[in-house]
Amino acid sequence: MNAEWLSNFVGEDIAFWLAYFTNGAHRAWYASFRFTIFAALFGALLALIFGLFGAMLKNARFFLIRGIGHTYTGMVRGIPDVLFFLFFPLAFVQAIEWINAQFVCTPEMIAATQSNWPPCREAAIYFSTGEYLILACVALGIVYGAFVANVIHGAMRAVPKGQLEAARAYGMSATQVLLRIHIRQMWVYALPGLSNVWMLLIKATALLSLLQVADIVWWAGQLGAPNYLPQAGLVHGDWRWGYYTALFVFYIFVTLLSERFFQRVTVWARRGMPVEV
Amino acid sequence: MKKVILAAAVLALASTAANAQTVRIGTEGAYAPWNFVNNEGELAGYEIDLANAICEHAGLDCEIVQNDWDSIIPNLLAGNYDVIMAGMSITEERLQTINFTQDYFPPDPSKYVAAAGEEFDFDNLSGIRIGVQGNTIQAAFAEENLADGNTIIAFATPDQSVADLAAGNIDLLLADGSFLDPVVTNSGGAIVFVGPEELIGGGVGGGVRKEDTELLATLDEALDALKADGTVDALRAQWFDGAEPAYTE
Repeated sequence: MNAEWLSNFVGEDIAFWLAYFTNGAHRAWYASFRFTIFAALFGALLALIFGLFGAMLKNARFFLIRGIGHTYTGMVRGIPDVLFFLFFPLAFVQAIEWINAQFVCTPEMIAATQSNWPPCREAAIYFSTGEYLILACVALGIVYGAFVANVIHGAMRAVPKGQLEAARAYGMSATQVLLRIHIRQMWVYALPGLSNVWMLLIKATALLSLLQVADIVWWAGQLGAPNYLPQAGLVHGDWRWGYYTALFVFYIFVTLLSERFFQRVTVWARRGMPVEV
Repeated sequence: MKKVILAAAVLALASTAANAQTVRIGTEGAYAPWNFVNNEGELAGYEIDLANAICEHAGLDCEIVQNDWDSIIPNLLAGNYDVIMAGMSITEERLQTINFTQDYFPPDPSKYVAAAGEEFDFDNLSGIRIGVQGNTIQAAFAEENLADGNTIIAFATPDQSVADLAAGNIDLLLADGSFLDPVVTNSGGAIVFVGPEELIGGGVGGGVRKEDTELLATLDEALDALKADGTVDALRAQWFDGAEPAYTE
């Protein structure tokens, strides 16, 4: 990027900033957006699956299963997502290590290990960024799945009884009523709630750096941190405000895009239904 | 579910076995010029160069990983990596939990910095906000000697402490001289050294788990050789502007 023709073409200042904003560290920052986008999409998919499952449990006839559903939505919704985000991957890793230790560790190994965890060092498991990312998505899925379960549970009840009675009167079986009428009309009532949950989930993707995933927030802090060593690159003061502003703009952009998307989907879900006045 | 867990366990076992030959080195990556992320987004600095030299000399297959300072010792003990090279001073307190290689940087006096124009009475400090990085020798020193009448503020990263000093959120910052030298030189006169130098810690060495005596011997042997042939001093002179040779005649 330091090519002379570029300096001649756009001027030295612009060429300098172009080179700065395309250096390796910045390219790594741009590339790290994939973690956030992946976490949002895969987390949302899992949340939808957990949500449908949770709603099914809450609608179950048998009171014990219904109880499990209510416990899931009640408990997970009440716990701060940051806590759950820290708790779930840690608990999962330790559980795997514990299981591993049952096979691997001998009493001598355990005696030779000085730290309390894992039981012996041979049982230690090192999780890579990709694996932590997936664990983070599962954590997001569990937390926001509880919200989705409530939204869908409510939406199922919001479908007018008359619609279902009419369907039965036409001779549809219970399954046909569920698939063709109940779930089909449920989406109209669920979409506003789902779009809210999606917005919450987008915001929670900023927590990825807590799990040592070098995500957009981590890189923004890294790039904006003051640098006083010429060997490390451009010497500058505290520029984090600039980098965090860029993240603000990114999240606002995603918000606007999501609103558009949900408007479209709502129009699609309402097709064939009377226009509300 | 059982199958999934079993599969995960088997996979983990396989990957542990495959990694057995690799020595992982944990570093903070936020402590210029010791270890930091450079403009290319890669780890660089004195300890990165030194780690590569050690691994090459000892014929080890090395991988350098980043870990936050706060959890750098616990994660060594948990087995996330095998060596800490993160500008860590050798202290009695740390020696109770981990072992250290011989030092690869001689004892480095800690210094105070402040915004230019501020004056302090170092014989009688009171009502001053003093910044340190948490879990460092400076943090322990400040808690013991300066906490009376002053506020000690511990930061998670060195960058944050400098940023807060520049922003006026703390009055004094106590840190390693080797870290502060480039800060003062390149701050354009905004940040200056004040007061006395405090000789707090021993030299800086690599941290290893107590049970890894073989690895410790390998590292010490490599350091002996690299000190003798001048590599360590050459790297010190390269990264710490004008550092005097300490390990060669």
